[in-house]
Amino acid sequence: MQERRQEHGAAVRAKASIPLEALARAVGKESLLSQPEDLMLYEYDGLSSQALPDAVVFPSSTAEVAAVVKLAAQYEIPVVARGAGTGLSGGAVVKEGGIVVSLARMKKILEIDPENQRARAQPGVVNLDLSLAASEYGYYYAPDPSSQKACTLGGNVAENSGGPHTLAYGVTTNHVLGLEMVLPDGSIVRAGGICRETPGYDVRGLMIGSEGTFGIVTEIIVRLCRKPEAVKTLLAVYDRCADATQTVAAITARGVTPAALEMMDGLMLRALEDATHAGFPVDAAAVLLIEIEGLREAVEEEASGIESVCRENRAREVRLAKTAQERELLWRGRKNAFGAIGRMSPSFYVQDGVIPRTRLPEMMEYMEQVQKRHGLRIANIFHAGDGNLHPLILYDLRDAEETQRVMRAAQEIMTKCAELGGSITGEHGVGLEKNELMPLLFSEDDLAMMRGIKQVFNPRGTFNPGKVLPTGKMCGELRVQPVGA
Amino acid sequence: MSHVSLHGLSVIVSEDNCLTDAATLTTFSVDGLVPQCAVFPRSEDEVARVLKRAAECGLAVIPCRNTTKLGVGGIPRRYDVTLSLKNLSEIRRFEPADLTVSAGPGIELADFQRLLQPHRLWLPLDPPGAGRATLGGIVAANASGPLRLKYGAPRDFVLGMRVATPDGKIIKTGGQVVKNVAGYDLSRLLTGSYGTLGVIVEISLKLFPLSAARTSWKARVPDLNVAHELRRKILQSPLGPTRMALLDGGAAAFAGGNAPESSDGAEGGFEIWMEFSGSDRVLARCAQTLGELAQAAGVATEALAEGIASAGWDRIADASFLLSEHCENLIALRVTLPIASSESFVELIENEAKKHGVRAACFCQNGVGIVRACLMPKDFDLGLATVITRLRAQAAERGGALVIERCPSEMKKHVDVWGSVGSDFALMHKLKELWDPKGTLSPGRFVGGL
Repeated sequence: MQERRQEHGAAVRAKASIPLEALARAVGKESLLSQPEDLMLYEYDGLSSQALPDAVVFPSSTAEVAAVVKLAAQYEIPVVARGAGTGLSGGAVVKEGGIVVSLARMKKILEIDPENQRARAQPGVVNLDLSLAASEYGYYYAPDPSSQKACTLGGNVAENSGGPHTLAYGVTTNHVLGLEMVLPDGSIVRAGGICRETPGYDVRGLMIGSEGTFGIVTEIIVRLCRKPEAVKTLLAVYDRCADATQTVAAITARGVTPAALEMMDGLMLRALEDATHAGFPVDAAAVLLIEIEGLREAVEEEASGIESVCRENRAREVRLAKTAQERELLWRGRKNAFGAIGRMSPSFYVQDGVIPRTRLPEMMEYMEQVQKRHGLRIANIFHAGDGNLHPLILYDLRDAEETQRVMRAAQEIMTKCAELGGSITGEHGVGLEKNELMPLLFSEDDLAMMRGIKQVFNPRGTFNPGKVLPTGKMCGELRVQPVGA
Repeated sequence: MSHVSLHGLSVIVSEDNCLTDAATLTTFSVDGLVPQCAVFPRSEDEVARVLKRAAECGLAVIPCRNTTKLGVGGIPRRYDVTLSLKNLSEIRRFEPADLTVSAGPGIELADFQRLLQPHRLWLPLDPPGAGRATLGGIVAANASGPLRLKYGAPRDFVLGMRVATPDGKIIKTGGQVVKNVAGYDLSRLLTGSYGTLGVIVEISLKLFPLSAARTSWKARVPDLNVAHELRRKILQSPLGPTRMALLDGGAAAFAGGNAPESSDGAEGGFEIWMEFSGSDRVLARCAQTLGELAQAAGVATEALAEGIASAGWDRIADASFLLSEHCENLIALRVTLPIASSESFVELIENEAKKHGVRAACFCQNGVGIVRACLMPKDFDLGLATVITRLRAQAAERGGALVIERCPSEMKKHVDVWGSVGSDFALMHKLKELWDPKGTLSPGRFVGGL
């Protein structure tokens, strides 16, 4: 309660007293925005917009970040860190004003060290750029969010991002060795390091996925993975959705872990094919996009094993990408899914639920019921291999009544995920989208401990206020309306 | 400890589960400190009540099960109660098709693997303490062995837990699904916290499919330069071994089933052990590629018979325990380094040991940059404190760290087992204060005297 008052108080004071001149001295005049027309560009992220920031700064070093943060601390102004703004849970938008710290200028890859299989980079480096830079040494950075052409490593660390290939290789936290972070009092700490482990509590692990509420990450040391010798990409086509979900369970049961195992339903396929012409079957009920990587011999065996599992589970067709281009095209289709849906519907709301893999058939049935109950269309695309669902609810934002139905449907889907023993977010984060739903997963005692942890890092609540933990203002409800496509 | 508070604990767990006999208590002694009672709670609720009561009475508690990790850590500031997780050893939820399981912390790794085996699943861990190590201890210590190369460490497998705190609550962290970013990642904080924040009463883990078959090879390498080159080639190849270890003469003799000193007088070569997994066809391919790499390096390789390989890997993982049975003054070091510094650090240890005239065996996980070294002095030798301090400085210079995993208590008075703290120590200190404000859990044993 006390913390909430502080957060609110900080925001109120912020309006009156943004130290613009001091900020300009800290980062340089050309690295500060404070005019409303400029600030509007920083009002949004991939989810939503809430309020206009009071200022946006573009520091180019850790020292500048620390200087800005110290000023903010002195004036008790809320601080929100921002990477590329691709986040889908509202992590990078301000709630009630404050300073946005954009890491866009801290985009240097500081070191690629293939001998030690690691890289050191600033937070503004684009995810895919790191893999491209490492590729000349035969390495890559494994976590690959669908937005990897735009999203940054700093944002990935903040959200503990995943991606299609995290099924086999793990999410961001499994690949980060060390971090440098500016804490809300302006002090600079390093956690983890350049080796596999450091003595003491895993402060690094705690920082990852803290969604900008603990500090601003200013340097990241990651592990690099060796590029596989062989890759095969299969597209299994189904006339019944249930057969596709059954295949997922059967592949897992067979003891094969593909590098990626993605599912898309019929509505999604039609949207994708319209947008990308990648050759997705528009008359199918669902497809599985399956990738297998590794030693040539292992890939051959696993591909043929998986193909039989698909056929045993009534796939009407199993296509193998014959060339690198064919493979690229399939993945480009998959990774552009949200854009493709944008062509089909004025707005959409994407969910990020997780369920145990074996409950996929049950969940798909439930999704059917939700569509019918609320008279909505839902396109499904998900990381089926790890049970991470991304239903996209299509609607028109201008229709207030329909928007309300969308919010109810979304809440029902997340509640079902929790009931099935899953989670309300697998990789997008809680942000200000789902924080009031946290009690679906955690007791008051659990949440009190999380509040305590937040206080350790962010005692005055000035960093990314109103995110992750429930505010108690609207119990157990989704309250942020997505802005749509 | 007063009679009254002791009585309070025995009321919670029942008289039968509160032992005070000297024989039992001695088995739980830590650095010469003997607890005044050992309690064996029968439920997570009892664990929470014991902790709450202990905190109220100002008692110090060390959680424990099979004592495989009791030697790790600084000398406790206080020690009154051993809290054994022996009675929390059941599987709570097991979904073979989901590759997930939730279990009590007291289950032994060997028993756990036996339960998974019929489902063609396993937990790919080969930590020190081997099959006797329990899930709770392994997770509390983030303990791993050579299998870390392919599979990672407990921090990578823990999906969630239930933890009893000194204020008598049970906190849930994470969940039971393989992907989950809801809320702060407390599971990672607890993993590797050595029971100094809370007591883990349930662990949810990700499981892995057992592979069709495995084969192990050893390469004899004449010197560390060749070892360096061969290791580089293997890591850059598509081979992807499940585990790999560089062994010095003493370690190689030990892995082969002999005493480390049996290597004395030999030409002082090294061995690299490797294991591959997969189908027969995959294993044949691995053999072929390994052969080519070894030949290019001018090194001979030898396939190991299954029994020799599995016994050898067990001995490599459990070396410090097994060797300590013959050397009561054994000092076990664990050095984490950048991968490419593995070989040069083995050389450093060998030189230091030679200079000091102490027998050493180095077991180096050369694919991940972890060196585990056993120094085996005949008698207690305080002079080794300066050797350790020098090695620690060398590790720090390379960006790494050195931790003493086992040593005589007397040594702990002269050299910090964890080493110096980093810039994040203030945060660690506050985290400890948050979870355990009265210093109930293992006071003084963790990093920086936490």
